[in-house]
Amino acid sequence: MSSHQVGRNQPHLVIVGNGMASGRLLDEIIKRSPHKYRISVIGDEPEGSYNRILLSSLLAKEATRDSVIQKDSNWYQANNIQFISGQRAAHINSNEQHVVLSDGRQLDYQQLVLATGSRPARIAARNQHLAHIYSFRTLADADTLERVGQQCKKALVVGAGLLGLEAAYGLAQLGLEVTVVHRNGWPLNRQLDKPSGDMLKRIMESKNIQFQLSAEVQSFTGNSCVKGAQLSNGIEIDCDLAVIATGITPNKELAQNAGLECSRAITVNPYLQSSDKNISALGECCECDGNTFGLVEPIWHQCESLADRLCLEKSTAFVNPTVATKLKVSGVQVFSAGEHLTKGQHREIVLQDTKNLIYRKLLLREDKLDGIVLFGDTRGGNAYFDALLKQADLPQDLSCLLLGDAFFTLPSTTNSEVTAVNE
Amino acid sequence: MNKLSTIIAAEKSSHKTTCCYCGVGCGVSAELAEGKVVKVAGDKQHPANYGRLCVKGSALHQTQQSNDRLLTPLLHGTATSWDKAMSYAADKFKHIVEQHGPDAVAFYLSGQILTEDYYVANKLMKGFVGTANVDTNSRLCMASATVAHKRAFGSDTVPGCYEDLEICDLLVLVGSNTAYAHPVIYQRIAAAKKARPQMKIVVIDPRQTATCDIADMHLPLRPGADAFLFNGLLNFLFKQGAIDEQYVKDHCDGLQDALTSANTQCPSVAQTAALCDLPQSKLQQFYHWFADTAKTVTVFSQGINQSSSGVDKGNAIINCHLATGRIGKAGACPFSITGQPNAMGGREVGGLANQLAAHMDFNKQEHIDRVERFWKASNMARKEGAKAVDMFQQIHSGKIKAVWIMATNPVVTMPDANFVREALQRCELVMVSDCIANTDTAKVADVVLPATTWSEKHGTVTNSERCISIQRGLLPPPGESLHDWQIICDFARRLGFEGAFDYSHPVEIFREHAQLSAFENKGSRDFDISAFSHLSRQEYNQLQATQWPVNENTPSGTRRMFTNGKFFTENGRAQLIPIVARFPKKPPINGQLIMNTGRIRDQWHTMGRTGNASKLMNHAQEPYVDIHPSDAKRLGLKAGQLAHLENLNTNFFGRVNLTEGQRSGEVFVPMHWNERFASSSRADALVNAVTDPICGQPEFKHSPVTVKPFQAAWSGLIVSTQEITPQTAYWCKIPVEQGFKYRIADKAQKQHWHTWLKQTFAHIDDWVELGDSQQAFYSAAGFVDACLQVVMRVARSELPIKESRWLDDKISKHCDLNERFAVLAGHGGADTPDQGKIICSCYQVGENQIREAIQKGCVSVEELSGRLKCGSNCGSCIPELNALIKDTQGLAKEA
Repeated sequence: MSSHQVGRNQPHLVIVGNGMASGRLLDEIIKRSPHKYRISVIGDEPEGSYNRILLSSLLAKEATRDSVIQKDSNWYQANNIQFISGQRAAHINSNEQHVVLSDGRQLDYQQLVLATGSRPARIAARNQHLAHIYSFRTLADADTLERVGQQCKKALVVGAGLLGLEAAYGLAQLGLEVTVVHRNGWPLNRQLDKPSGDMLKRIMESKNIQFQLSAEVQSFTGNSCVKGAQLSNGIEIDCDLAVIATGITPNKELAQNAGLECSRAITVNPYLQSSDKNISALGECCECDGNTFGLVEPIWHQCESLADRLCLEKSTAFVNPTVATKLKVSGVQVFSAGEHLTKGQHREIVLQDTKNLIYRKLLLREDKLDGIVLFGDTRGGNAYFDALLKQADLPQDLSCLLLGDAFFTLPSTTNSEVTAVNE
Repeated sequence: MNKLSTIIAAEKSSHKTTCCYCGVGCGVSAELAEGKVVKVAGDKQHPANYGRLCVKGSALHQTQQSNDRLLTPLLHGTATSWDKAMSYAADKFKHIVEQHGPDAVAFYLSGQILTEDYYVANKLMKGFVGTANVDTNSRLCMASATVAHKRAFGSDTVPGCYEDLEICDLLVLVGSNTAYAHPVIYQRIAAAKKARPQMKIVVIDPRQTATCDIADMHLPLRPGADAFLFNGLLNFLFKQGAIDEQYVKDHCDGLQDALTSANTQCPSVAQTAALCDLPQSKLQQFYHWFADTAKTVTVFSQGINQSSSGVDKGNAIINCHLATGRIGKAGACPFSITGQPNAMGGREVGGLANQLAAHMDFNKQEHIDRVERFWKASNMARKEGAKAVDMFQQIHSGKIKAVWIMATNPVVTMPDANFVREALQRCELVMVSDCIANTDTAKVADVVLPATTWSEKHGTVTNSERCISIQRGLLPPPGESLHDWQIICDFARRLGFEGAFDYSHPVEIFREHAQLSAFENKGSRDFDISAFSHLSRQEYNQLQATQWPVNENTPSGTRRMFTNGKFFTENGRAQLIPIVARFPKKPPINGQLIMNTGRIRDQWHTMGRTGNASKLMNHAQEPYVDIHPSDAKRLGLKAGQLAHLENLNTNFFGRVNLTEGQRSGEVFVPMHWNERFASSSRADALVNAVTDPICGQPEFKHSPVTVKPFQAAWSGLIVSTQEITPQTAYWCKIPVEQGFKYRIADKAQKQHWHTWLKQTFAHIDDWVELGDSQQAFYSAAGFVDACLQVVMRVARSELPIKESRWLDDKISKHCDLNERFAVLAGHGGADTPDQGKIICSCYQVGENQIREAIQKGCVSVEELSGRLKCGSNCGSCIPELNALIKDTQGLAKEA
């Protein structure tokens, strides 16, 4: 047995990955039975578990590095958890129940949890090998962008999802001229409709961020370092830094190579168990009932379900919740849940304040809430979301429903805060 | 034309003057500061009110400013100089007289102008132009009473005084909603009733008005049945032996004929009750009260006068008083109460087409000769002229080619008012003098002349108890405006009558008026103010309120007339007139309802002044229709919807108000609204031009109209700093402190609210908007520098949008982010409860506040006043406070 074992009498729980899912799982386990397992965590990043959501704030210098890291090495030590940092799990031998690390070490396990997360999705553009083209996914990425950003003047960001916009915002805050290239007609198109997306665009434009919408990068130009990009709409953009943030690809390869059942990601049952009974998976690397996961809220549910099984041998099925996206982009609050695009069957109620760039939309279907988009002013979001989940009856006079809770009463409202998003 | 010197008071001073509204004629103490009247209070010494003021009077200082104030003469709509405007008018007027004779020109005056204005207008036309085509809006309110007085007394004399209403043991109010129309008189009666609860009050009115609050009995008779009721009474008095045989023998003629006539129509109480649609027992009870009560006063007003048989109704009442000798005695008389501040003054100078001057008439040659000599008239009129309705008909037919309208708005107030508008549009020369630039009448005038108004004008008025008081000129005339007498005298000079109109101060006119009243009088005429014949300017300016006659025998005035049983008829005896009672001329057909018109509590006439005060608009903000719930149900009308009344191809739109106080088959609408305040709510445009054949007064109280739902596809509300004209079928304007509120509604389904708003308020680019894809509602608010400029709220509903004072008060104010949204809701949210409809205008206390206080244990008006102050100033709202107490307690019991 390897020297990395910290105790002898308890079964060994090995967790591969030290992202947010891993961190939260540890909290749930400690809450339930801190001494049932010897626990080892393998992380390929040197830091402990950090809050990925705050990376853009870090880049924009609105958050400090220390405040982003949620669990440093002291924490692991204090909780008697072996933290193996800077190492990747290279191979799983499920028959013999051990994990082989990138430095060749072996780790036996009784229970293995895969929390390998995801990586930036690739795009089809040519010349992605050029220097100064980055993704924006890790603390290291944030550090790099900050460092390189100091020397650059013009940045190109590919993708106007949350992460891309956050990167663009962070870079603009560093003083760079930023152009965002986005395949869709408006930014944040999975959470916003066109009017609110246009408002977001206006806000970001006022912060030195330009947009090329309905466009993709065909190729990057430059010799060794990126000097520009050729777009599908014929426009050429100069840049000396590029960030690709077009979405994520689940890290399923470790499991796949070990012969576990995978589809788009590692397939798990509602108890987060993979095709091997001693191996579980959760977070962005797993797929349950055909769904993959990018937002934190369902992953928090997964952590609870998995901890119940591992610690208490309790079968708490994970139910993928309908999730409200509540986020802050470029300083603007956004709340989006249910349908966000108005369709034929919808009755739409819209409140617009063009001066203050506030847009609030509710979609009704057969007199019940079917979608919520709140932009710039997210008050009442939780109440609407609750009414949407419960398909509650709405007030007779709908004209005041969007004006804030001094003007309407919904049947009942829960106080549970809807947490932020991780894309 | 030079501005003549006016009376300008010192800065920061207090002055006694007279209210310019109703015929009560209250004394007002006005405080000046910084060139404005800053405060008003009732004059404690004035015999009309002894310190009281009603809500309109209390707001006199708040109605001084109007955006629509006329400040320069207008010629065909364009500002011009006095000289140009007056030369144009005088040349044309002179030309018409030369071409077509003096009867081709006319003056239409008003009970709003002062006696001195009236006097020179009348003198100019009847003595110098040579026509008696001088009539006045008093025709619409007083003509019946005037003729009834003359037939009975030989003179147009109000026998009693206000005190009689307080000291009588039975007060009968016929067709008179004093609570709203004469609030200070109502307060005096209410106080008397409180002091002497045994004093009986009977209200005879088809409607259960606010006045019924203090009544022991309300007789909701069939509309127009009043003469039957009083004929029945006369017959009953006879049968009961209640006739004062001695008084009749000594002082009256005609009792037998009157009784015969009464007995023919109303042989029994049962038959009279059937004719009047009243329970027999109740009517009998009233008759007994009348028979048994020596100190009886019968007050009558527009409900009697505005009728096709108003003169007869007046005489039917007077007959009962003469037959019982109840006249000329303290606490016993018939009492005609007039509507306007100076209708009486107008009657005194002879401002009506069938009068000459100083209570002299055309039917006596010696009168005509006498006035001719006194005036040294160059072209004396020798016959009566055209009365109001005839006058506008003659204008329409082209017989009259020039008309000068002063201080009145006939396009709103005349019956068949659209016909009147058409007549004026056809007329060669229409002159209008007014203080408001854009009255519905001024809009069709060729020449509009800026006149002074209350607090600027200086001269005398006479109230309903013959009391002459002075309205003081306290402020300089604004802009180019001039006093009416100045304008008339300038016009007279331009017509070539310099010598007879060379006055430099109203006292000179007043002295001449007094001298004429004395001229060859020797006790033959009631109107005698000879004691004022040589008044100095200072005495005039400080004139103490005095009841005429004022002569050497009665230097301090006369409280009661006919105390000696001597009348002004040829034989000195009063005349009982045989009355053949008649119902109104046009009965309703084909499901029509009878439209009754009248005043509301806080408005005056066509709202020229009172419409400016947001405080006065809060009690009744919108034209409305009172209707009995059973009629409403049958016609498919619901409370709060708009009703559509139609007659003479004209529409009246008003908000449905269900009330059991309205008889089934009849509706009541307010007469005040006009095109400055609503799209289509001129009640009088639906009134048929049916008049009393004797006096020419129109039948305003009885117009058959069709009534149906307006059927609004949507309703809305606009509050704006800016005055606009909504393009909707229905709108009404309600001034608020910092702007205007509009209620709107339309029948068209498809709407482009957003587009209309952006076009109308093109200068605004900061908008908050709220709407839904089904167009079920839409709200928008526009801001400039974060200050609220306009809010529009609409919803697909026939009912009005919910409102709150909070929003009215927010207009023009800075709004924070929360308020930007709250204004779309129209209220401040859960934390700022709405006070509800304003009941007490003086202290701006709303219905919701009052109901809450009642629920918390206030069970009397006194307790409510103690807690909320409501009802403690002018008292106009006390009937409504009592109604709310009853209603709220009733609701609590049911619950």
